[in-house]
Amino acid sequence: MISFHQVNKHYGSFHVLKNINLHINQGEVVVVIGPSGSGKSTMVRCINRLETVTSGELVVDGVKVNDKNTDINKLRRDIGMVFQHFNLYPHKTVLQNITLAPTKVLGVSQKEAEETALYYLEKVGIPEKAEMLPTQLSGGQQQRVAIARGLAMRPKIMLFDEPTSALDPETIGEVLDVMKKLAKEGMTMVVVTHEMGFAREVADRIVFMDQGTILEDSTPEEFFASPREERARLFLSRILNH
Amino acid sequence: MIDFSILFDHMDMYLEGFWNTLQASLLALVGSFVLGTLFAIFRISPIRPLKWIATAYVEFVRNIPLILVVFLFFVGLPAIGIVLEPFIAGTLGLTVYTAAFIAETIRAGILAIPKGQTEAARSSGLTYGQTMRYIILPQAIKVVIPPMGNQFINLVKNSSVLGVIAGLDLMYFGDLISADTFVTFDVYIFVAVFYLILTLPLSAFVSYLERRLAGSR
Repeated sequence: MISFHQVNKHYGSFHVLKNINLHINQGEVVVVIGPSGSGKSTMVRCINRLETVTSGELVVDGVKVNDKNTDINKLRRDIGMVFQHFNLYPHKTVLQNITLAPTKVLGVSQKEAEETALYYLEKVGIPEKAEMLPTQLSGGQQQRVAIARGLAMRPKIMLFDEPTSALDPETIGEVLDVMKKLAKEGMTMVVVTHEMGFAREVADRIVFMDQGTILEDSTPEEFFASPREERARLFLSRILNH
Repeated sequence: MIDFSILFDHMDMYLEGFWNTLQASLLALVGSFVLGTLFAIFRISPIRPLKWIATAYVEFVRNIPLILVVFLFFVGLPAIGIVLEPFIAGTLGLTVYTAAFIAETIRAGILAIPKGQTEAARSSGLTYGQTMRYIILPQAIKVVIPPMGNQFINLVKNSSVLGVIAGLDLMYFGDLISADTFVTFDVYIFVAVFYLILTLPLSAFVSYLERRLAGSR
């Protein structure tokens, strides 16, 4: 479904991603962890070309992401994305936030888009907020709207870029619950997070990154019990025993 | 004491000047808004030549005096065979000059919208144009209205430059009346009152919009 082959990325002289090789199958939930500045977000953002790669090949759903002839807007229809800061459209209601892309990109009728939107709002547990503006919602509710907005396009892949990092501890759970539900239903998910509990419980695979390199790619059981790399061990001990 | 007979004896001239100032301002307002929006979008567009054209335009026009821009239309164009009425030349100059400031104001408004908005929109498959239209511009307009209102108030006042090229505006008729009566102070006090009749309501309207938009954000 997603395949990085010898992918490199430079920001000027800064080498952000170094020889990334990663293959993610349909229905897999891959959690990417690592210290800040390790390139996790950058790697995930390459998948829908919010970042471009400098060299190497990245194939998503059979399409070469960085090929000049690739219709990126078409590929992006199938890839939902959830951001750290939600990025809801503040001038639109919750319902309008969710129906915009289906109506403008897929050409779905307004009525059908609204039905779909309500279905997913129900699914993330806040159907009663449909007519509200994003600023009237709590952080956790906003992030659940953002997830519903992504799902309304019926994507094949969902990307999560630190979805709970901007939330207060009490509302993290409600967002993680929605993500767990999604994972159980077989969605292909790539999740950048610091939530180790979520990683352990939900991930099929853990990818550990440091300084632009993938240091480990293993199952949660293996990873949490006995990380192979010293750097990963250090990271885990810091994050779990603070 | 101010001599009101000046006003009543020359009411027709004051009113004609007032009417022409109003017309020049309205024409330049609409023209500079359209032109300015266009150049703002050019300047942030990913297409290089458009960017260069818009940057050159803005940097040239806003860094020379308004009166020079007006002279370019009034004495520059006749040099290449295009002769314009002073009113038209003045209004065009005013439009072109104000558009440079409007372009910068709108550009700043667009850049003030967080990058995450564009990323969310583009990652859902919306095109660059759709993102501008549905997400960025509706938010930018709220940011831009207060500074834009100030630009338009300046525009009304700047229209007095027409007086210099016999553009039949308020300032021009003020000069005429003064030359006619040998009165200076009183004549120009009434000119000022006529300008205030235009600018004070405009300024009140801008404050009203500002308050309304602040509430909706």
